[in-house]
Amino acid sequence: MKISEVVEKTGLEALNEWEDADIAGVYISDMVSDIITGASGCGLLLTLQTHKSLIAAANLVDVEVVVFAHDKRPADDVLQLADKAGIALFTTPDHTWKYAVKLFELGLR
Amino acid sequence: MSTCAHSWSMTDVQNGYLVVEGCYHCGARSSFFSLEPTVPIDEYREGPHFWEHLAGYQAVRFNLRCDHCGETVDLHDMMGLMLSTCDDQDCPVGRLNRELGKKTSIYVALCADSSHASGHCVTDAGVKALEQYFNQRLRTGRRKIAVVPCSMCDRIDRCQGIVLADTGLTEFY
Repeated sequence: MKISEVVEKTGLEALNEWEDADIAGVYISDMVSDIITGASGCGLLLTLQTHKSLIAAANLVDVEVVVFAHDKRPADDVLQLADKAGIALFTTPDHTWKYAVKLFELGLR
Repeated sequence: MSTCAHSWSMTDVQNGYLVVEGCYHCGARSSFFSLEPTVPIDEYREGPHFWEHLAGYQAVRFNLRCDHCGETVDLHDMMGLMLSTCDDQDCPVGRLNRELGKKTSIYVALCADSSHASGHCVTDAGVKALEQYFNQRLRTGRRKIAVVPCSMCDRIDRCQGIVLADTGLTEFY
């Protein structure tokens, strides 16, 4: 599934520039140590954390898209780091479970 | 020397705490991985050092095992990873950052003793396997991962980077 399709169908707000790409799957985590060991190749990471460590971890395991739940928004230096890493950042007003259900209903696993 | 084109997977994954201690006599820093149920915060004497607790982070440690030949690389000497943002021309990691360009991210493998007084750091085999492991999982050619040992940094205690750590999650005890 393309990022653009997820954006359109789940009502995401883009926080930085992004390019369309395929999303292989989804991982949900708020812990850097968990992302390193579990999110490899997931494509889309759903989280509440907005700090730079999260972007550094996402970059390491090839995450393409980070979605911040509950309308969380990172600081400018986090956006800059994501731009450099080529990671698309989005926010949703939904809480984590509600947004996860939307992704599941789209067919993402 | 192995001729296997290794395909690495994580093995021996353990959840615990990365504990950072400092000696208030000589200023040395030390870190270790703890499997205790809570972060150890005791002060104690060890030889010339008087170690006191500085920080504790929820962390994970793991080894790498080749799916083809079964070779296992022990990574228990690695305390963490740091995404380098250094561009200091006087630092080998900073120079490498400039040389490799935007597409490649350099991650510094951090060992327990940042002073390297013992002469030890994360092993070459560990650094090489880590780099292979993370690059093998990249689905596109958009980015590359380089891993270097912290002994390569000019001054690791002042090195610019983002340590991959779950800070703040152990402050509720």
